[in-house]
Amino acid sequence: MLLNLLVIAPFVAAILMVLNSKEDSSASSRMAILMGVAFAAMSVALIVTGNQATTPVEWFHIPGTRGPVYYYLYAHGLGAWMVFLSCGLSLVALISARSITGKSYRNFAIGIFALMGAMNGTFLAADAVLFFFFFEAMVIPAAILIAAFGGEKRTTAAMTFAIYTLVGSAPMMVALWYLLTIADNSLLLSMAVAIQSLPADTQTLVMLSFLLAFLVKTPIFPFHGWQAITYAEAPAPLSAILTGAMSKAGVFGFIAWVLPIFPLNLNYISGLMWLGLGTAIYGALMALRATDGKRLLAYSSMSHLGFAVAGVFSLSEAMLPAVLVLLVAHGISAGVQYFLMGVAERMTGTRNINEMGGLSSKNPVFSFLFGAAGVMALAVPGTAGFVGEFTVLLSLWDLGPLPALVGGFCLILSATYVLRFVQKVIFGKPAREYQEGTRTTALEGVAFGSMLALLLAFGLHPAFVTNSLHLFDEEITEESTMEVVEEVAEPAEQPMTAEELRELDSTLAASGFTEEERKALIAQIQSETLAVDSAVAASEAAEDSVEAQGAAEEQAAAVGTDSSAAGAEPPAVETEKTEASENE
Amino acid sequence: MTHLPLWFIPLFPLIGTILLGTIAVVSSGAKKGPSEGLVGTLAVLFPALSFAVVAILACSMPEAGFRETLCNWIDIPLFRADIGFLFDGLSRIMLLFVTGIGSLIAMYSIGYMHGDRGFARFFAYINLFLFSMVVLVLADSLLLTFLGWEGVGLCSYLLIGFWNQDLKNCKAANKAFIVNRVGDIGFLLGMLTLVTIGGSSLLNYDGLAAFINMVIGAGEVVELVLPLSLAGLLFFIGCTGKSAQIPLLTWLPDAMAGPTPVSALIHAATMVTSGVYLLARLSMMFCLLEHVLLIIVFVGMFTALWAAIAGLLQNDIKKVLAYSTISQLGYMFMAAGVCAFDASIFHVFTHAFFKAALFLGAGAVIHSLAGEQDMRRMGGLINKTPVTACVMIFAFLAIVGFPGFAGFWSKDLILERIFVSGPILGPIVYVVGLATAVITAVYMGRLIIMTFFGKYRGDKETEEHIHEAPAVMLFPMVILAFGAIFSGYLWADSIGLTFFRDSMASVVGHAQALYLAANPAAHVNPVIFAALGTLAALGGMYIAWKVFSRARIIGVKGASTVPEGSAASWTFLWDYIHCAFIAGVNILAWFCDVVVEKVLQAIQWTIAAIVEILGDGASILQVRKVRLQLSFSVAGVALLVMLVIFSGGLV
Repeated sequence: MLLNLLVIAPFVAAILMVLNSKEDSSASSRMAILMGVAFAAMSVALIVTGNQATTPVEWFHIPGTRGPVYYYLYAHGLGAWMVFLSCGLSLVALISARSITGKSYRNFAIGIFALMGAMNGTFLAADAVLFFFFFEAMVIPAAILIAAFGGEKRTTAAMTFAIYTLVGSAPMMVALWYLLTIADNSLLLSMAVAIQSLPADTQTLVMLSFLLAFLVKTPIFPFHGWQAITYAEAPAPLSAILTGAMSKAGVFGFIAWVLPIFPLNLNYISGLMWLGLGTAIYGALMALRATDGKRLLAYSSMSHLGFAVAGVFSLSEAMLPAVLVLLVAHGISAGVQYFLMGVAERMTGTRNINEMGGLSSKNPVFSFLFGAAGVMALAVPGTAGFVGEFTVLLSLWDLGPLPALVGGFCLILSATYVLRFVQKVIFGKPAREYQEGTRTTALEGVAFGSMLALLLAFGLHPAFVTNSLHLFDEEITEESTMEVVEEVAEPAEQPMTAEELRELDSTLAASGFTEEERKALIAQIQSETLAVDSAVAASEAAEDSVEAQGAAEEQAAAVGTDSSAAGAEPPAVETEKTEASENE
Repeated sequence: MTHLPLWFIPLFPLIGTILLGTIAVVSSGAKKGPSEGLVGTLAVLFPALSFAVVAILACSMPEAGFRETLCNWIDIPLFRADIGFLFDGLSRIMLLFVTGIGSLIAMYSIGYMHGDRGFARFFAYINLFLFSMVVLVLADSLLLTFLGWEGVGLCSYLLIGFWNQDLKNCKAANKAFIVNRVGDIGFLLGMLTLVTIGGSSLLNYDGLAAFINMVIGAGEVVELVLPLSLAGLLFFIGCTGKSAQIPLLTWLPDAMAGPTPVSALIHAATMVTSGVYLLARLSMMFCLLEHVLLIIVFVGMFTALWAAIAGLLQNDIKKVLAYSTISQLGYMFMAAGVCAFDASIFHVFTHAFFKAALFLGAGAVIHSLAGEQDMRRMGGLINKTPVTACVMIFAFLAIVGFPGFAGFWSKDLILERIFVSGPILGPIVYVVGLATAVITAVYMGRLIIMTFFGKYRGDKETEEHIHEAPAVMLFPMVILAFGAIFSGYLWADSIGLTFFRDSMASVVGHAQALYLAANPAAHVNPVIFAALGTLAALGGMYIAWKVFSRARIIGVKGASTVPEGSAASWTFLWDYIHCAFIAGVNILAWFCDVVVEKVLQAIQWTIAAIVEILGDGASILQVRKVRLQLSFSVAGVALLVMLVIFSGGLV
């Protein structure tokens, strides 16, 4: 229910906003903010109540594919936190936008709600087609909002953004369709099974198509061409959502879709890790030279997300919690920095940081928030950013000192550009005379302040965030394992996957097992780090097997843990063995 | 639990920070600032309460110390860390002087910062600093120490750039933070190395000591020396950043841009010594790493010598003291490098008193001269500000090691330990150390002479307004001057007082015993060292008197206080070296921005242009030419039919 609400209700909210008068922005803003609060509360509830899934509903058939597309939502720790970012940042954006949109606030709110619904759908979809649908749908409201409310070059920015990201994910669409023609349905596990039967070259091609979409969305060097101009020209509240929540869809895609589906080999993993680190350095260097405040923040985001992607492909045991904390921390801190930059822009009337300065004496409250946000972006210990970056560095150190050293260099650079940014904006003397625009309103101040407080809270007690990842484990210990084994044994007896499994078994026996011996180490690491993801996959398998007859949550939890356990220990049942190897 | 909870100690400054910060933010919009009396009281009250808790705990502390785990901090696969505190012989000493001197300097600041618009903000920062410093010292694990470590760096940044209207101060603050960040990354990577060696439990100090003992017990030291050396080296890089040693020392002289009480508290007495504290805390690890210790000795030796010479060339009174701090920190590292951790901490302790007194005295001088910092425009102040002059002269005698004063005991102890540390290395380092002591006496004598003796060289207008500092400033100075005289008697070897050594023994004694077992020390008569040390101090003072009391110092008019000519290139040597690195990064950034980015854009444009041209080309066909359209249609149908026929008919 909660899942459906989070995905569908924002669209309903967008439609409801139409009821408001176009003239009276205060009424529409009240309504929008109230609904925003409701969504934010729901997203918190989603995190608190743990993993859950809806009943899969057959949606439609794509011509040429074998199985149906389901409307099927699933929340695990990672997705739930991303939904929290999307709802929370949208709420603050709705608050902050009151001062810049004027009378067209209603239209802005409509766009934000549509964007929020699409983002939530992206993070919660359990069906690949549904995921892709929302993944693409995000672009449209965002592009329209940029074109309607952006800066001077808004049409260029909107076009660049829309075309770049849509073209970037076009290969993924083709690859997805191709996969669906050989897979039973568009759920994670059947796709992971289907990819095994393809020749190696085709596998690579399909994987690269998927990777491209996420590389563009994140963005990762050299696919970042759309990012700086988009973030700079978009209205600041929207930029905050784009960087804080939407860009996470890229990293989310790597974790939730690429890693479970594709059998990545070591070259790709280390290649992607280095690509991530390169992006981190490149973004930081670009941020060093940027003079446009919003561009600077865009490059800083790029740097942080590159770091996160490097963390993902370190594939260490600590990867998932580390990256999750980093993403949450970055979402909040980059978000609040964008909001504050928006306030600075509307106060001084410029985005050029060389023309700002002196705000600390003119507007001390704003400067306090701005400085504090800067400090939190520096990943000072005690803030969430530190926990994220430290643990990601730990994961990188697992691969060797060199990646960690590069990561450390990146931290030094981040200190440099953040301090330069803070100094140019709030310290010194005003660089020029200007008519002062709207200051920070009280509601804005409270919103920004609570975002900063969240960063502190997550920094001092990251268990708030990381615990959502092992909600499984605690439930499992309570349940008897015998039941679980029976549950798992069922899927193999079902006629729909049995053929596939046998096929897979034979292919693995022929070629895969020798390969596994060679790459035993990689495979092991992969199976361990993907425990949660494979749990997702396994739960879907269970869903299929019982023909999606309710009771999803318990089974999901139960089956999920068993398969992760099977990854670690030699399984007794043959069907389990095949499943474990699939996950690898 | 019979004792006070340990978390009381950081709690009080934290409450102070929150209260004062709230006052600062709330009152920032108002025309008039908050009441200085209220803010000042709060600002001194909370550090003083914290000091009281430390004092009570210090008296009731058992030999093994107190340990307390508050809660879990990070708990993920591969890594687990708790928030816990450790109060033992080492943290007791550190906390006593951190909170004690912290309270005194907060009190002094009430007078110094009087009338400043950011009065409440200043004290909020000071309290935040004390909180971070307490956490740094009291933490029971490296990770929590790192929280304090970056926290004090952050406060240092905030306080150096306190007068942020002036961009010069902001630049100095940025420099301090970034240079410290370089060191901090060393610390961070050092922690990661330790985690890789033996899991996250090694980050706990007790866990680390247990691990090292286990390794020694199992006789596996040889296998682990290499990774441990790497960790040790990385931690030492962290120390060079925080404690301003070669090569990361350039930020400290610039940090003098902050208010003088800040320089006294952060950049002389407490924060900069945290590197020495860390080495002592990790003594169990370092005592095994001979090569790293060798590096530490040499870095300390060169830093001490270089900074002393650079101090000779400065004209700014605070810069002289800054270089002097760097030089004294070099002594502490020399001591740590020969595993004389108790001696190095003892010097940290005595140094805190006399250097804080010197800085506060300098602050009083600057205050009385309405902000003048150039010593060439001072002179003859002993008649006008007698109390300040006395405090500074006592502190001067302490720093040069005049017999009986605090510095005499601690510095001689260090030099003695260095001499006996090895047959060849010991005497070499000892000679350099002794030479540095002579130079110390020279530049400090120069400072005292130029400031307090001779004739006043400033302009007439300022001269009329010269006044002694208010009592609220003098009181802390006098107390610190007493400390500068008497704090050395906590460990006066030659007269049999060894209280300090005994109190430290439970923490570093084991490590030092291990080191001594590996490198047996020769026994030498301590009286000789005392005599030589005294000779160095007296000789240096004599040289200073000969050279500077007669020298005609011209009261320059220019605003610049940087040393002239070749002296500048000497003192800025390390800045130039840093500049090379910065230039490298800038060139790289330029390359990314101007070359790579443009190439990428060009590729993007090319692709877009090709698509557009193709589109234009296709649109030519969309024109009203009936015959052309018709012929296309016919051709199309023909093509389709052909396809169907040749591919095997309609299926």
